[in-house]
Order: sequence, then C-alpha cells, then structure tokens
Amino acid sequence: MNRLLAGACLLPLLAGPALAQSLTVAVQADVRSINPGVNRDDGTDDFVLQMVEGLVGYDEGGTPQPLLAEKVDISADGKTYTFTLRQGVKFHNGAQLTSTDVLWNWTRYMDPKTDWRCTSEFDGRSGLKVESVEAPDARTVVMKIDKPNALFLDTLARTDCAMTAIIHKDSLKADGSFDKPIGTGPFKLGEWKRGEYFTMSAFEGYASPKTDGKIDGYVGSKRPLVKDVKFLVVKDPATITAGLTSGAIDLSEVLASDVQELRKQPKLEVVTAATAVRQVLLIQTRDAVMGNLKLRQAIAAALDMDEVVAAASDNLGQTNTSPIYSRSAYFGPVEKQGLKYDPARAKKLLAEAGYKGEKISILANKRPRVPSFPAAVVVQAMLQSAGINAEIEVLDWATQLDRYNKGNYQMQSFSFSARFDPAIAFEQFAGNKDKQPRKVWDNPDALAKIDRLMTLSDRAERQKLVDELHKQVIEDVPLIFMFNGVDAIAHSKRVKGFQPWQSKLRMWEVTAN
Amino acid sequence: MLRFALTRIVMAIPTLLIVAVSVFVLIRLIPGDPASLMLGDLATPASLADLRARLGLDQSLPVQFAIWFGNLLKGDLGISISSQQPILPLIVSRFWVSAQIVLVAVLLASLVAVPAGLIAAWKQDSGLDIGLVALATLLLSIPTFWLGLLLLLFFGLKLGWLPVVGYVSIGDDPWRGLLYLVMPIMTLFLHEIGVLLRMARASTLEVLRLDYITHARAKGLSEMAVLWRHAFKNAFGPTWTLIGLVLGNLLGGIAVVETVFTIPGLGRLLVDSIFARDYPVIQGCMLFIAFTYVLVNLVIDLCYPLFDPRVTAQ
Repeated sequence: MNRLLAGACLLPLLAGPALAQSLTVAVQADVRSINPGVNRDDGTDDFVLQMVEGLVGYDEGGTPQPLLAEKVDISADGKTYTFTLRQGVKFHNGAQLTSTDVLWNWTRYMDPKTDWRCTSEFDGRSGLKVESVEAPDARTVVMKIDKPNALFLDTLARTDCAMTAIIHKDSLKADGSFDKPIGTGPFKLGEWKRGEYFTMSAFEGYASPKTDGKIDGYVGSKRPLVKDVKFLVVKDPATITAGLTSGAIDLSEVLASDVQELRKQPKLEVVTAATAVRQVLLIQTRDAVMGNLKLRQAIAAALDMDEVVAAASDNLGQTNTSPIYSRSAYFGPVEKQGLKYDPARAKKLLAEAGYKGEKISILANKRPRVPSFPAAVVVQAMLQSAGINAEIEVLDWATQLDRYNKGNYQMQSFSFSARFDPAIAFEQFAGNKDKQPRKVWDNPDALAKIDRLMTLSDRAERQKLVDELHKQVIEDVPLIFMFNGVDAIAHSKRVKGFQPWQSKLRMWEVTAN
Repeated sequence: MLRFALTRIVMAIPTLLIVAVSVFVLIRLIPGDPASLMLGDLATPASLADLRARLGLDQSLPVQFAIWFGNLLKGDLGISISSQQPILPLIVSRFWVSAQIVLVAVLLASLVAVPAGLIAAWKQDSGLDIGLVALATLLLSIPTFWLGLLLLLFFGLKLGWLPVVGYVSIGDDPWRGLLYLVMPIMTLFLHEIGVLLRMARASTLEVLRLDYITHARAKGLSEMAVLWRHAFKNAFGPTWTLIGLVLGNLLGGIAVVETVFTIPGLGRLLVDSIFARDYPVIQGCMLFIAFTYVLVNLVIDLCYPLFDPRVTAQ
C-alpha cells in the first residue's frame, strides 16, 4: 500500500524538473516588469539584460566596452561619440539591427512618457546632456554631448539604465504601450507568471560579440547553450536549500551562513566571488557627537577590520577599506593601504576628542542576504571594548533607507550598490549635504577633485586623483569602508560554466548535463 | 434571515470606512516611500522627483486620499506600484490560492478536532484525554514555519513523495496542483487541530457538567445518544465561533506558510507590499481582508440556528 502511494505521488514528479538542457534557477523576488529600465530593481535588470543589449556594456572589471557597437570613436574635444554597429546582429524577431533602431530607441527613452529610469541622466539635469543623436548611415550612430564627460559611456552601460538597451519597435503595441522585449540578447522572453516564475529560451539567431567561450561581464562570449531557463520565485532560504538538495532547483544564490553546509553535499557545488557592492559604516558628520574628527578617527582605529569582515561575511569576504572595488583597475598599492587597527591610537584619540561616553547609535537592518546586522554587532562589540558607548538600532530596510536619505542618524551599517568607475564610486557618498542630506562627505577640496575626475579621461591622471581621494577619505573618516559584497551561489554539479559576477545570474555559456 | 444578513453587511460599511482611512494614514506614517525604495542608493534628486511625480506621491495626502477613495467608490482599488497590475484582480487571484488551502485545512481540522475534543471531554482525566490534550498543546506550540519545514524535510527530501518547491495551479494541472498543496494544507491542518481540539474539549466539559446531561443519563439513554444528541449540539457553539474566527484570520493570509512553500497567496502579497511600501496594494489587501472577516463571521452567525434552534436570526 505504502509503495503504491509513494509510486502514485512520484509519477507526476518524474516529469517535473531536470529536463536535459533546461535549468531551474531560484530567485528571491519576482521581476517588477519586462520593460528595460522602467519599473526596475536589480533582479529585474538581471533578467532583462539576458534578453536585451546596449551599444556598450560592462566588461568583467566594470569598464564599458563596445557590445552592439563594434567600436566607439571619441572626438578630440571629447564631445562627439561615433558608434559603428556590429554586422549581422539580429533582433529576436529576425530583423536586422540598424542605426535607425538606435535613433528610434533614443527618442523613446528621452520621451518622459516612457518613464525610463535614466532620462534625467542624459537631459542635463544630472550634469550630462546629449545634444543630438544622428544616423549618417545604417551602421553608424553619432552622439554629441554638451561638454566632455568621462562617464558618458559608463552611464550608457549602467545596468539600472538597462544598458540603454536597443529593442525592436515591435516591442510596443499598436497604441504605443510596451508589450514585450524584442531585443538582441542571447535569450528570448518565454512565459511570465506573476509571483511564481518567469522563463526565457535560447535565441538561436544570436550573434555573440565573441565565441571563444570566455565570459567577460556583459561583453565577452555570450552563447546561449541551454534550451531554456526557468526562474522560480522562492523567498525562504531554507526552502531554497531544500530545493537544491532535492534537485528541484539547479542554481541559486544562498546565504553566506549556509555555504559551509552546502559544500558538504556531494551533488552541489558552491562558488563565491567578491562584488563591487561596498559594506560601509556611514557617519553623520553633522551630528553633535560624530562631528568630532578625533572621535571618528578613534572609531576607525578601534576596529580590527579583518575580524569584523570574517565575522560579518562568514569568512567569505576580504577586507577592503577603500571606496574603490577590489577588482577595479584603479585598485592599486595606495588603495590597499587602508585603515589600521591600533587600539593604543584609538585610546589616545578618544582622550584628545574629549569623549565622555556619549551614546552612539548604529542603525542596521536584518535583510537575510545583507550583512548589515552582523557587521553592526561586531563593530559595536569592538567599539565598546575601546570604551565607546555604541548601541544598535534595528530598522526595516525602508525605514533605514529613509533615515539615510534624510541624513537622520549617527552611524549606519549600510551597503552601497555596485559602482565601477571611481568618479561615481566617490560621488555616491560625496556632495553638498544641504542639497542632498544623504551625502556623507562634503569636504570642498574632495568635491572639486571628484568633479575633475568626472571629466578627466587620462588614465594616469585619474589614478593620481583616485589615490589622493582615497587618502583623504581615510583621514576625514566621514564613513568607513569594510569589505566588498560576496556572491555565494550554489548549483547542481550538472551545471557547468556558471561564473558569479556582480550578483548577476548570467546564463550564457552555461551548460547542463 | 435575508434582512438580518443585509443589515449586517450594511453595518460593516462603517468598519470598512474606518479600516480604509486608518490604513491609508498609518502606512504613510511609517518612514520610507516606494519611490526611494525603488531607486535605493542610486536615487538622485531629479530621478526621485520624476518617480514621485509618476507615482502621484508628489501630491498632498488629502489629494491622494480623495483620488484613491473616489476610485474605491467606483470599485477600483487602483494599480500596484510594484507590478503595475490592477489591484482587485490581483487580490482575488491571490485570495483563491490562499482560500483553497485554508478552507480544506480548517474543514479537515474541524472534522478531526471536534469529535476528538468531544471524546477527550467524555473520557476526562483518562490516558486518552491526557494524550489528546498533550498532542493538541504540542501542535499548538509548534510554529507553523517550523512545522512546515519539518514536513518539507520529511515528505519532500527524505521520502521524496512531494515537491519541495514551486507551485502549480489546480486549474492548470489538478493532480500536480494537488501535490503542491498537500504540505501547506497539512501544516495548517495540524496547527488548527490543536486550537480547535482544546476549545471543543473545554466547551464539552462545561456542558457535560450541566443538570440536563445528568437527567439524560438518568433516563437511561446510551452514552452515544447523550453525547451526540444532547452534549454536542450545545457544546459546539463556542467551537463554531472559533472556527469562524480562525477562518477569518487565515483567509486574511497565511504569509508564513506561503513563504515556506512558495505559494503565491494573499499573505505573501501583503507582506511583500508592506516591505515595498506598495501603498495601493496594502490598502486594497487590508480592505479585502476586513471585508472577508466580516463576511465569514456573518456566515458563521447565520449557521447557528442549524445546530442550536434557540439561536435565531432575530
């Protein structure tokens, strides 16, 4: 009887998961939309960017490189960008990519009705203005900007801008509303069942930028080697672990705390990689207590960062006290020299600061995949042992973000999203606090240097400025960088070729037995 | 009866109005708004202003309320900020997913717990009674998320009988859909047995101590007749009320169970919306839940005369 019952239950399951060349990937949340750069979040960008591509995209190190473009020529005055399109690129509907498509997309993106997330990045409101876009022939697009800007290509390639994706005009319905993305990416949209799953299938007519099998950010070899991929929305980490163990899930991001246990499972493989996300301790320098430079320096000296990082990242992270991402080309010998743990100096600085035990509150949140709370706990313990009266206030993420935006805090254990170019990495936290209370560093000399970094193209000159800014931020302590984020991905051993990168679940060049 | 039902529904309108106003105000008192959450630390003043304008968050609260309430009177709960879907169909579709789990679980739990409570009371202080009470206390004490995970580990991973992750609608594939619902139903079923058994036992014990039961026994009626014909009907009232409360409560969403078993139900929709500060969905869900609660308890009240003729609609 028992066997009969078991057999009856098993029958339908045999036809369920694990069809050859099909993958089931667990994701934490449903996508918000399938309209590139409109109503988006990181997970939405990740899915959409498997189906669409832009003229340029990030390479593995975060530098924008030609993608739909074969090459990009920049005029001597730094204001004219000429994109030559790759030949043989097709949309999912079989239509050939031409410069007319790029023009149509640009017009659509700059139309406020599109609600593109990045319109304000290109219309002059954020300092960069595209004055004209022309298509002199079918393979050439010329974009002119108002003044030289070292970040123009970077902004075009940004994932939150959906890489300024070029989609076919049939992506829209007859009434002009968005229908579905008909892009040039390695995968085509399959089915989207809201709240449950979304799928994509291989685009057989895909023209990969390279075909050597080497993955390089969004630009290297991008061949779709699996037939289809199903992204299943699974919120509970314990359920994900059960799904990976049972084989119902082929691949998923997992909690850092689960990595050791999952590595013991014979059918699974766990891969980890540092991301450009930066875990930081923000400090409100306008606070009556935290405005004291000596106190901030004492706090920095009181933290044994290697211990903080080991505890907060379950031994997966590496200390990086620079604003520059550890795999960036700008992360040089100067950036490796960061904060130093020195309890004696901390004690001396505390005495010089005249600190009298005033309470210091550290805000943190308990999102499962963000080390905000564990980092805050270790920091609090170290500060207390140095004689600093630190407390933790746990908030939900939306409330913490609100306090961040309003500058209403003393300290926060916070995560800065990925920023590749050093100019944007610094701009992310530096600026005028009167205009933008979320900014934490308002040193006028530093702001002038960052402005210069925004326009400067010369690599050596830029590195020099980055080095100076790095030293300055260590000295001023408006915030303390701790470590870069860590991607922890578990996958079935039948999955080959997957490489974690910037929390993106890139499915190209991935095979399944 | 019809008049009673209509009166009750009309009486619910002020309740729903209070819910509407208080949810609208309270959710906006919580720090954080959907625009800044959507943009995160990437927000610039310009992009934030754009998004706030698009979402209508740049208007004053009274104007926002007037627009929302005006649409509500026309039966339009608005559009979700997160998914850009119309809210009413979204809530209804999610509600049916939750409802099929809740209704089956509560029905099964009632069918088991009520007779078990009756027997436990009848055999008070016996080994059976102590065993049943201990079991009920145990089931009641286990948090549903943990119970769910235990079932998942045992039936999903160890035995491999049931799927551990995902969801298939019964409408799409009845057999597979049923398999995906077994563990969530079992989790709720086991938990609610604990709640209902204790109530059924307690109310039966009270009735069994009354004089008319002694009288019935003195007349020489069989214990079965005493229990079924005399004790059960009078003792069932409080349990029936509790079933109504449990149903109303659970139909408002079983977020924890839905999260563990990846069920796209109403509870998960509400929790996700709160974290995303998706104001229109939160408001719509809360109104819907309040209305469901009122409706379920109305049905419960209307059913009283079926087993207790002393209770009438009047």
